[in-house]
Amino acid sequence: MQLNRRLLPGAFAALFLWTGVALGSGIESAAIVMPGSISDNGWNQAGHDGLTKAGEEFGFETAYSENIEQPEHVEALSDYARRGYDLVIGHGGEFQDAVKRVAKRFPDTMFMVNNGLGTERNIANADFYFSQLGYLMGYTAGKMTKSGTVGIIAAQKFKFTNDTVASYKAGAEAARAGTRMLVTWTGDWDDVSKGKEAALNQISQGADVVWPTMDSATLGSMQAVQEKGVYGIGIYRDAIKEWPEILQSAILDVRGNMRAYLKLAAEGKLEGKSYKGDLSNPEAMRIGSYHPDIPADVVAEINSLVEQMKAGSLRPLPY
Amino acid sequence: MIEQFADPQHLAEILASTIRIATPVAFAALGGVLSERSGVYNIGLEGMILAGAFGAAAGSYAAGSPAVGLLMGVLCGLVAGALLALLAIRFRVNQLVAGIAINLLLAGLTAFGSRLVFGERAGGARVEGLAPAEIPLLSDLPIVGPAFFAQDPLVYLLVALTISGWWWLFRTGSGLDLRATGENPRAADTAGIAVFRTRYLAVMISGALAAAGGCHLVLSQVYLFSEGMSAGKGFIALAAIILGRWSPVGAILAALLFGFCDTMQLRLQFANPDVPYQVFLIIPYAAALIALVGLVGKSRPPASIGLSYDRETR
Repeated sequence: MQLNRRLLPGAFAALFLWTGVALGSGIESAAIVMPGSISDNGWNQAGHDGLTKAGEEFGFETAYSENIEQPEHVEALSDYARRGYDLVIGHGGEFQDAVKRVAKRFPDTMFMVNNGLGTERNIANADFYFSQLGYLMGYTAGKMTKSGTVGIIAAQKFKFTNDTVASYKAGAEAARAGTRMLVTWTGDWDDVSKGKEAALNQISQGADVVWPTMDSATLGSMQAVQEKGVYGIGIYRDAIKEWPEILQSAILDVRGNMRAYLKLAAEGKLEGKSYKGDLSNPEAMRIGSYHPDIPADVVAEINSLVEQMKAGSLRPLPY
Repeated sequence: MIEQFADPQHLAEILASTIRIATPVAFAALGGVLSERSGVYNIGLEGMILAGAFGAAAGSYAAGSPAVGLLMGVLCGLVAGALLALLAIRFRVNQLVAGIAINLLLAGLTAFGSRLVFGERAGGARVEGLAPAEIPLLSDLPIVGPAFFAQDPLVYLLVALTISGWWWLFRTGSGLDLRATGENPRAADTAGIAVFRTRYLAVMISGALAAAGGCHLVLSQVYLFSEGMSAGKGFIALAAIILGRWSPVGAILAALLFGFCDTMQLRLQFANPDVPYQVFLIIPYAAALIALVGLVGKSRPPASIGLSYDRETR
């Protein structure tokens, strides 16, 4: 899938236009390189949709590569830069090092790392203030647990998951002092059966609110939640529409966040700096619908936390 | 950790979880034993699990019946097995290369197929699964009851296939024919055994068995297909074959050991939050390595495994 054949003519057209394009003018083409499959119901699907939709809306060519493993990062990114794409996106913090190497060789190409850490003249970053949502979800879980034990399941340790786990803990502690927190690292984003076993294990250890934060593997965890009749927490989208057991969802709207910076790119205003989505920009980050079981006073408390975060008077760590 | 084994409730959950995790691996390992005993490496188990999972999901989705899903899944495995047999036996492609090619091919085909069948909802489409079948009286036993006798039908099928497979392989004439084919195909050929037919059948059935493991993933565990959901189970099965010394019963016990390690790693994490989680993730693999090095020092694979047989050469 490295060469998307349907888009090849566009790529060649872009190649001829390359000489005319420089930083500062609006982009005419953008490509995204993703670690997983575009139908994973999660991170990668959001990345693909985010770019494609923005391309249609703002009128630039798009292309994508999916399932790109770490050793191929440099090659996949360079390939797009060489073919004249004005903006090349690495979809995930794991692309940071590869982007850094490639960006030196292609000074006229703009690079973006979604969830990246580190900007340069032609490297921008876009991520989220994960801890805001982590804290709110933890607070909800802490208020709704009857057993006093809540769980979170994540695949790998890095900034997104570390921040999320830490702030989820802090939020649960704030809602109910002494909440016991179960954290499971599965090491796999897409192993559905492992996701289910991990959730079943947490539930059997007493967790009655479980937050799975993987990609496809989340589907397995949610089935365990459904079968055992406990509560779940959603991620990326308003998940209560798919699973009625969802208390609340942490909507990290990758599409919205990407749309915001792609709009800037289309206007020629994208710079080598960090674009961090937070609650004050609901297009990028917000919470979803409340479960009907959540009492009105708790809903009011959570809404007031949201307002405090927007106003900046409550700043959950890590930033 | 110890107190988990003392509590009957937890013990029952550990056993049930072990069996769930082990079943797909066990099916694939059983298939692998059959294929390798006939002299053909089946590295394609991983892809065949995936093929079975996809077939099961597509069949159950289209017909609304898990039985149709099971049939479709096993059929997909049979076809994948036939492809490997054709490559390895007819065209004498290096068996390891052919197996890897099958894995790559099926990973791509099933991903493509799932977007075709499930469309926009790829990965999210729920399908009908098999209901667990409780065995009367036995399922009421403490601890072992819920773990062993309230399982889904495929687990009982696995047990039946393992025992009958072992009996067939080591106690019947045609089982001896299969083993002879894997040890010394020329001698077997001279003795009038249909070497090619035996190998074709063994590899095809091997594909069907691995696919049954994929069916278990979809029809008894998660009720949906998602890309790459085999997640390395086919490769663990390869280790289980060696650890089980190319015996059906041994391979299934090895699969259970790996399933147990995986279950424990999910549980041990809570008790030891300060230990890096990667340490727990490698437990099943470390167990496989230690077992391979320590316990099966003298294990001997079938003598002609990996060698294609050609009547015309000397």
